[in-house]
Amino acid sequence: MTDVQRTRAACTQRLMNVQLPEGGWSYRLGAKQCATEPTALALLALPSDVDQCRQAAVRFLIRTQNRNGSWPAFPGDHGEGSGFTGLALYALTRAGVAGQVAIRALGWLLDARGLESHWLWRWKFRTTDRHVRFDPDKFGWPWMPGTVSWVVPTSYSLLALRNLAAKSASNLISFRIRRGVEMLYDRICPQGGWNAGNGVVYGVPLVPHPDATALALLALRGEPSTDLSIESLDWLMRWTQSASAPWSLCWVVLATDAYGRGTDAVTQRLAGIVEAQPPDDCATLAVVSLALACGRGSSVFGEQR
Amino acid sequence: MRIDRRTLLGAALGLAAGAVVTATFSQPKYRIVRRKPRSQVAILRAESYSETLEQEIWQGLNLFHLDVRGKSVLLKPNLVDYIPGNQINTHRLLVAAAAECFRRLGARSVTIGEGPGHQRDTYLVLSESGYATQLAEQRIPFVDLNRDELVKSPLFANYTGMKHLWLPRTVLQSDFIISMPKVKTHHWSGVTLSMKNMFGVLPGAKYGWPKNILHWQGIHESILDICATVPIHFVIADAIVSMEGNGPLNGSARPLNRIVLADDPVAADATCARLMGFDPEKIVHLRSGGQFLGNYSAERIDQLAEAICVPKTPFETVPEFHYLRLSDYAGNAE
Repeated sequence: MTDVQRTRAACTQRLMNVQLPEGGWSYRLGAKQCATEPTALALLALPSDVDQCRQAAVRFLIRTQNRNGSWPAFPGDHGEGSGFTGLALYALTRAGVAGQVAIRALGWLLDARGLESHWLWRWKFRTTDRHVRFDPDKFGWPWMPGTVSWVVPTSYSLLALRNLAAKSASNLISFRIRRGVEMLYDRICPQGGWNAGNGVVYGVPLVPHPDATALALLALRGEPSTDLSIESLDWLMRWTQSASAPWSLCWVVLATDAYGRGTDAVTQRLAGIVEAQPPDDCATLAVVSLALACGRGSSVFGEQR
Repeated sequence: MRIDRRTLLGAALGLAAGAVVTATFSQPKYRIVRRKPRSQVAILRAESYSETLEQEIWQGLNLFHLDVRGKSVLLKPNLVDYIPGNQINTHRLLVAAAAECFRRLGARSVTIGEGPGHQRDTYLVLSESGYATQLAEQRIPFVDLNRDELVKSPLFANYTGMKHLWLPRTVLQSDFIISMPKVKTHHWSGVTLSMKNMFGVLPGAKYGWPKNILHWQGIHESILDICATVPIHFVIADAIVSMEGNGPLNGSARPLNRIVLADDPVAADATCARLMGFDPEKIVHLRSGGQFLGNYSAERIDQLAEAICVPKTPFETVPEFHYLRLSDYAGNAE
């Protein structure tokens, strides 16, 4: 067993050990409040041979789905939905869940959109509110209903829709995928990569965030390469050379692996970082497990289904 | 003039409706009053970020006679994102110095908590800004408020109409909360000081990155609701090197060589605004906060240590906030 495999096994075991009785995971290790994002990431990270943990996670996500098909950020949160709905649906469909749960979630995703898509706000952003450079015709998904589109919830939603689009030829799915892709390209930073949601504010180019950039690239996988997507990948590769933050490093490994770039050196370093200082939150623990498991495009975000 | 019954009835109904509307709009929007008769603010001179900050803050804190013995203290710095060369975040040496001082004052625990509003990877901000090493060396615990356990909390003011917020358990369980802002201009709200700094207690896991819902509900309104609900017991503002222009991320460094300490967030922010060359009365959340959260009027503030020194030129802002500038620059200028 290599160091990477050993670290990954330890992370996976730790993840299983901290699963809460409800079947979900909290963000912080030791906390008792389950949340959707760490649970969905853990479900994606757990190997198929730990069926009991995975089934408990599946049951938790199904149980906490809102009536309207969305997922809250955590149980008890309001029922209108959160930006983690796409991720929850992606994790469940990867785990083989279909039927009404997926249909209702899909319905919500097709309906939910950033506020800039509303004619009134579109008009405002075109006329009086021009400090943030973006095209409001190109919209994705918000963190919370009633707000504008952002890169991470849009990327999570695109991952879910692309996964379902392979099985369904719905025009609406295609339309939302197209709009989401356009939104991501519209909000890209001028030098490549993605910030939280915009590329230029008050005339100043924003600096990319590695995790948002990696997620956007994963969501854009399958699209024709552009100069900007290649520059974004190159930027990620350069960023990893001095990086030590596990969460971002993991997403970068997942994205660069999905695009066929070599990740061996980075995963070795990631394993060393995690070995020296184990993550203290379950979402990071889950993406560490995912990142250390991938190679040659084989991760849950990389392989073609 | 003859007044018939129909006219009289119409007039009475009109008056009643007017009274209801007036009563509705004249009712205070807050359910709690934190304002004290007088507030204390100390302006300390500090030439640079150095190891001597602990001594300087210690001397400043002694002016306030704080009793934090046995209390859990939460230091809330302003950590938004990391961009090399940009003065975005409260400096780590100031936060570390404050932590040591509150330990010396007998606090039961001193924790640093923050939920960066822009960067999802909090550890990335901590490591690249030098916090991670500093906190490890001094064994100061840090809580990522974006990913903490959350408690549904009713609001003590109703400027946004949100009724409640989900707040981190770490914040709600702290006895003594210290807001430690970086003194900066802000392209959406004019300034970001100790009150705006409290946006960082709201969890990204619920409100997103950035916490966009607060912008849609009104930044000033959100500041007032949050500060009514989460008390700021003390302020230590980092004005050693501030930011002007296109803040909070992409402005220019503006050295002020000051640290502002205060037992009242409104008084602290009003003082910082004056140090920036701004009129606090023109800042919406200070003017409204002055009704119930603290004092912005200079007459109600006991100025300790140095006197306010209005700069020769006010802080640069984006054009929309040029109106914040003090009208009179004569007198006590540097």
